[in-house]
Amino acid sequence: MKLIEALQIANARHEGRPFQVLLACGCTPLHLETFVKAHLSLALPARNVQLRTGLYGDLAGTLEGARQPCDAVLVVLEWGDLDPRLAWRSAGRVNEQVIADAQARLNRLAEGITALADTMPLALSLPSLPLAPAFHTSSQELNRIESALWQMLYGFAASTRAVVLHPNHASLEGGHDLKTELRSGFPYSVAQADRLAAALARAVLPRAPKKGLITDLDETLWSGVLGDDGPEGVTWDLDHKTQFHALYQNLLNTLAEAGVLLAVASKNDAGLVDKALTRADLVVGRNHLFPIEAHWGPKAKSVERILEAWNVGADSVVFVDDNPLELEQVRTAFPTLECVEFHKDDAAWLRELGDSFAKREVRAEDKLRTASIRAGQAIRRAAADDASLDALLAGAEARVSFCWGKQPPDPRALELINKTNQFNLNGVRYTEADWMAYLAGAATQLAVVDYQDRFGKLGKIAVLAGRETAGRFELDVWVMSCRAFSRRIEHQCLRMLLARWESVLLRFEPTERNAPMQDFVAQMAAGSRTIGRAEFRRRCPPLYHQAESHQMECTGV
Amino acid sequence: MSESQEKLIRCFQAVFPDLNHGEVPRASVSSVAAWDSVATVRLAAAVEEEFGIQFEVDQIEKMTSFQGCLELLADR
Repeated sequence: MKLIEALQIANARHEGRPFQVLLACGCTPLHLETFVKAHLSLALPARNVQLRTGLYGDLAGTLEGARQPCDAVLVVLEWGDLDPRLAWRSAGRVNEQVIADAQARLNRLAEGITALADTMPLALSLPSLPLAPAFHTSSQELNRIESALWQMLYGFAASTRAVVLHPNHASLEGGHDLKTELRSGFPYSVAQADRLAAALARAVLPRAPKKGLITDLDETLWSGVLGDDGPEGVTWDLDHKTQFHALYQNLLNTLAEAGVLLAVASKNDAGLVDKALTRADLVVGRNHLFPIEAHWGPKAKSVERILEAWNVGADSVVFVDDNPLELEQVRTAFPTLECVEFHKDDAAWLRELGDSFAKREVRAEDKLRTASIRAGQAIRRAAADDASLDALLAGAEARVSFCWGKQPPDPRALELINKTNQFNLNGVRYTEADWMAYLAGAATQLAVVDYQDRFGKLGKIAVLAGRETAGRFELDVWVMSCRAFSRRIEHQCLRMLLARWESVLLRFEPTERNAPMQDFVAQMAAGSRTIGRAEFRRRCPPLYHQAESHQMECTGV
Repeated sequence: MSESQEKLIRCFQAVFPDLNHGEVPRASVSSVAAWDSVATVRLAAAVEEEFGIQFEVDQIEKMTSFQGCLELLADR
């Protein structure tokens, strides 16, 4: 982003609820403040981003004085915050003593950061600028004192709850503007300020990760053409100079283990594909790939069937292929699906691909996802016919558990709320700070729903949150994973609420994406927003689950 | 109005959003309340980026009016 664009965005009048941010840095905030406000405003178009900053040269004081609650805290650490002798503007004689002094300062900063990170989202950037030239050693060598300083910083980064930006990503060649630093106390070039601000904004407002990846096979999952080279002739190894494909397969394994769905769409002979995928040296786990669409039909049709099997929206999926024509055809059929051309031997491409799926934590549900989708195919097929579905559900030995409790909040709840589109009561998304504030309401109640049946565990697949008012329950939040459809879990959720309250008021809003919720509300509430026990009994289909509800403190996995 | 003048007006309006297009050519440190030392640094950086140039410190100190900025650009 150019500075002039950032100024225009930052200075524009923004309506909406305030989004309060503390930008804590020891330098003059200048362009960093402008870029932070611009990036956050772009990420939160419906909010009015308001920034506070601290005093020049007093990062620790800024953190310690931050008593007012914020929606996010951004801490920008530079060497001068650890000791003024290390900064260009105040460089002084440096000896071994600086290590102990810097450690004492870092301890004080760490206390402030820890106190804030316990209650609000906090992103921290480590020093991204070079140390002032204070050592007798060559600048191409890592000085012992500098090593000790980095060691203490990395030690803190490993132990803090804050999100720490990767120093390699945060710094930019030529990012130090000494002229501006000496003149006005702002040490970053405009480009560096933009990069740092974008990374900080992304750290406190991460993009929703993509949920699935559909891959081509020839010249993508492996090097070579299966039809020409045969199952034993395609390669992904150093000997054939095709190791990049092994790296790609390895990335797919990492993604699958983090809960990303993987499928294959390939114009190929199904028999040959099956043989190639059973090779012992295949890096990607064969069981991670589901479904496998290998035939000579159009790839857009393959993608359509895969999306149907996964039951996820096209905008949550990435399609990787080496053929631009295939990519264009799929893009035309699914404009919101991200179509990515395979870039052989391009490390940055592989990193960026991985970043599209990045998540901070991998939960138990993530590990269950592919298996549960595979197991759920029978239920999905039976769902087309009520009698078949009843027979299947009756024998499914399903157990639904409702776990009531909000302290400490189950992190899975917010994750589900912010990534669920289809069975979502109103599409409202929450920042971490908004969610904490909502849960802090005395009347607010939260239930996380766990499901398993004889086909397997689905894990925590639904969240309900609302408030009791005059004997009824006002349901503000209700989301359920698309993996859990066709099992009547949503009916069981309503039954559980109506066992506690006379009626349930749905804070329902139709959105572009919540058609399954709209259908359910139409079926159960018939034009109303309130459902009582009698109507529920009349409209509810047979339920076969064993349901249990308990009050306990849920913890994330 | 020249392309340079229009570009400079855009820089001024980005830094001083309360100025309308017609007011910018008359803008100076004394007539614009928001024009402080921080605004000067912002303005200099925006102009440097837009025009692809680098000012010397003493040139930035001379940026006290729209006309002064135009003259600085003309001198380069």
